[in-house]
Amino acid sequence: MKKFYSNKIAIVLFALPALALFTVMVFYPIVQVFLKSFYDWNGLGSGTFIGLDNYTTLFKDTVFHLSNKNALIFAIVITVFQMTLATIFSIVVSNKKMKGRGFLRVSYFIPVVLSVTVVCQLWLAILNTDTGLLNAIFKALGIDFQQNWLANRHKAIYVIAFVNAWQWMGYQFALLMAGIKSIPSDYYEAAKIDGASSIMAHRKVTIPLLKETYKICLTISLTGGVKAFTEMFIMTKGGPGNATYTLTYLMYKAAFREFRYGYGMAAASMLVLQCLAIILIINWLFRDKEERSERKCNKRMARQLSQ
Amino acid sequence: MRKLTALVLCGVLCISTLVGCSKKANNEKAENKTTNTTETTTTTTEETEALPEGVLSEEKATLKIYAQYADEDTKVPYDYAVEQLKVAYPNVTLELEPQAQDDGQKLMTYAATGNLPDIYQVALAQIENFKQSGNIMVLNDVAKSTGFEDKVFDSAKNILYNEDGNIYAFPYAGNEYVVWYYNKAIFEKYNVEVPKTFDQLLTAIETFKANGIVPMSMFGAEGWITAAMYDVLATRWDAGGIAKLDNGEGTAKEDAYAKAADMLHTLVKAGMFQGSVTTTNYDQASEMFLNGEAAMFLNGQWYMTDATNKLGDDVDWMYYPSYDEASYEAGKTVWSGGGAAAGYAVNPNSKNAELAAKVAAFLSEKYCEAKVMYRGTPLVALDVDVQPETEFPAMMKKLQADLPAITSITKFDWHLSNATFKTALEDQTKYLMIEDYTPEEFIKELNNALQQ
Amino acid sequence: MQQKNGKTVKSIANRLGTLIFRMFCWIYAAFSLYPVIWLLFYSFKNNSEIFVTNPFGFPRVLHIENYTKAWAQYDVPMYFSNSIIVSVFTVIITIVLALLFSYATARMQWKGKNIAKVYMSLGMFIPIQAILIPVAKLVNGLGLDSTRWGLILVYAAINLSFASLVFYGNLKGIPIEIEEAACMDGASIFKCFIKIIVPLVKPATATLVIYTFLNAWNEFNLANVLIIEEKLKTLPLGLLFLQGSFTTDWGAMGATMVIASLPTILLYCIFSKQVENAMTIGGAVKG
Repeated sequence: MKKFYSNKIAIVLFALPALALFTVMVFYPIVQVFLKSFYDWNGLGSGTFIGLDNYTTLFKDTVFHLSNKNALIFAIVITVFQMTLATIFSIVVSNKKMKGRGFLRVSYFIPVVLSVTVVCQLWLAILNTDTGLLNAIFKALGIDFQQNWLANRHKAIYVIAFVNAWQWMGYQFALLMAGIKSIPSDYYEAAKIDGASSIMAHRKVTIPLLKETYKICLTISLTGGVKAFTEMFIMTKGGPGNATYTLTYLMYKAAFREFRYGYGMAAASMLVLQCLAIILIINWLFRDKEERSERKCNKRMARQLSQ
Repeated sequence: MRKLTALVLCGVLCISTLVGCSKKANNEKAENKTTNTTETTTTTTEETEALPEGVLSEEKATLKIYAQYADEDTKVPYDYAVEQLKVAYPNVTLELEPQAQDDGQKLMTYAATGNLPDIYQVALAQIENFKQSGNIMVLNDVAKSTGFEDKVFDSAKNILYNEDGNIYAFPYAGNEYVVWYYNKAIFEKYNVEVPKTFDQLLTAIETFKANGIVPMSMFGAEGWITAAMYDVLATRWDAGGIAKLDNGEGTAKEDAYAKAADMLHTLVKAGMFQGSVTTTNYDQASEMFLNGEAAMFLNGQWYMTDATNKLGDDVDWMYYPSYDEASYEAGKTVWSGGGAAAGYAVNPNSKNAELAAKVAAFLSEKYCEAKVMYRGTPLVALDVDVQPETEFPAMMKKLQADLPAITSITKFDWHLSNATFKTALEDQTKYLMIEDYTPEEFIKELNNALQQ
Repeated sequence: MQQKNGKTVKSIANRLGTLIFRMFCWIYAAFSLYPVIWLLFYSFKNNSEIFVTNPFGFPRVLHIENYTKAWAQYDVPMYFSNSIIVSVFTVIITIVLALLFSYATARMQWKGKNIAKVYMSLGMFIPIQAILIPVAKLVNGLGLDSTRWGLILVYAAINLSFASLVFYGNLKGIPIEIEEAACMDGASIFKCFIKIIVPLVKPATATLVIYTFLNAWNEFNLANVLIIEEKLKTLPLGLLFLQGSFTTDWGAMGATMVIASLPTILLYCIFSKQVENAMTIGGAVKG
């Protein structure tokens, strides 16, 4: 088997096309981003080399620190929201006894299918202070919780994070569904013979086997949170003021509104580095457990099947 | 079922590839044709001397143009100019690409890749950026030879020349003004006097709020209008307003700017604007005013036609209120608004740069005509000899009567030349729209931006 | 006795819990569908209804002219077919390359495969706005600026990161025994890949097809700067005709978005069935 998997020609044929396309179309531009972050540059012409000046300015910039804080909030909100709901819904929908599961499955995914513009306009309407649905509901229920949802300098970021989480939950749901579908059904049968309840079966079989899928979900949520942009751009324009700025927004502002392209590229470089750190941490966190649990699971299965 | 889908997909693919290829081939052919003909015609036009009446040139070319083309205010002038172009330049075809509302990303990319269209609309901050990199043509000669320079109103000379004395763009909009609109019917219904001082304004706000009327609707999603609101207040204390800061003639720490920030903060706290002000877009705020849900509205003078169409005699404008009656009277000649050396620019690397420049000048002139004739605004850059198709709205006549007395104007947000200051001003004035942002923070941030 | 009582209370509580839980699932589903209805209503309203008088209800007057306006602004069928071509090719290239690459990193033995994996994920980290100008210059330099291929290759390259990540996870989740059993009989790795792996990752492929298609279909920023010819423009660029620097025709925007959303919803319905069917396919391979 080992020989089978170290077929050199196959490796080259499999890995090279993707690597080549990616290197030319994405990696090369990323290199440009890093290079230009050392320049005082307005986006046109050649600019002047200024070493680390952009970075020192960036670290002193209060908006940079605010952006990092916002990214953290954003990432945590969407991770918790999406992973919890996606897990619950995917298990519910894959339960064959659940009535109307086909309908539920399509429904949960619908927000993903719509463009961000549509979803943001919808939430702008719902969250409007005077004419919005949300405040109207609170009013009708007699709960004194009506507020300026997107005009609060401390809370607006949570509200926007929620909108993002709500729209893309369906995607993690679909990924988990696909994962569950790939688990051969005799695994569950084996677990049932073992006398496990269905919740137990999911905890013992589904969730450990979906480790890799969860890793993906975590990677998407965290990096998605760190580089969040579109929702802010459409809903609050980074506002009120700069209360919902993120690093991407800071980059955009510097490059296209202030013509400080070099500075914007420094922000973008920091963003890439942060995401890289996140993925390395995730890989490191998951590595040990993943291999251990895989081995354990395989052993258990083998034992159960042989009995 | 699956096979069927696969078949359909394959079919779509094959057809689309074929279409794509053949289209491309056609393109190339067409391009070759036009380039050939331009070469031949440019030589012939120099020989012919007498042109038919109304024809300015018989040169043949297809020019790419990047211009705003989305609403009545941009479509009407453009369509009119294109019609006129057919007469004056019968062999010039324009290929329009509508401008994206993308903070200039596309134009910037075009400049970076050398794909700039022959003619493009440009704002002042971009001009500063483009002239450093040789992406914008100096139009001094063309402005003379086409007579454009002579047609510019004396009062609008400020919007023809760049700071360095050159002409980089043919303007069409003249000096424009930030106008404080109000709904007379609502004011009368609730017995509110048109406020002259901020105290009266605060009383009016209280009355309107008590009756469920939004005192003033504002599209705070856009930074330029919040900047204009701040500028209106700042000019009550210092006629220079935000223009003075932009020109580097003052600092944000001066009394006038702190007082204006305090005042705006007070008005916001009093509830002058609707709840979702920071996320309200232009149409939303405008609809609130036009539907009688808001008593006042701040916008440019170009809004007069729309407002009159919907509200008739009920809509009027007022002088900006001030801190006391004396300054209110004195401030009647001090306005927020202005103009800038921006408009239609030309790509110097265009194959037909000379022709494009002439066409750009022609387009700007026709824009002025169309704006006077069909859009009810005489505030254009050029002295054009046309009559408005319908009478100017009453509000416009009132403004026109005041124009000669105006002693000072500032700048619109998009006419600011210091991009860092402009960005900070937009963000920070939007920030002031919420109650828990303090004027002190505002002044501090503005000052930081100015020092960069 | 006490024990029995305790049990019934517990089972009632359990049932109540299940009921509340089910209700929550259904309400959430209903709220996920709401945007579609809202958008449909929206597309028949004018600015006044959308923003002030009736933001959520059924349109009072059906402004069908929103659709005719949107249709008249730009060549909808052409933009539409451009979008289909670009999206379909993006999907094909992305899926094929990503699956090959992830198989190489997830299963095969070679030095540097972990680095290659992390390297490939870089694409997920970079905001599009940051690489806008470098990418445009690159596409220009490669002479692809007046063809569809510029856009398609960039889309595919950007989507590769995510698709590889998903395929990698999916392949890791498949117990290696399944593959070993089927492949030990001397079949070549290529044959084994096509016969065993491709069917096994069908569910993941289906979700990725949808996701990549949607990404390409809705993408605005790159399309805005990379497409320089009218004949190649994609559907999201049609919105430019309706957005002025001040005022926007929101009703017509809604109509455009309905036109743009319908095919994606349709596509989703087709492919989600595939995901559902995949269960039996997985079983068949095993047997």
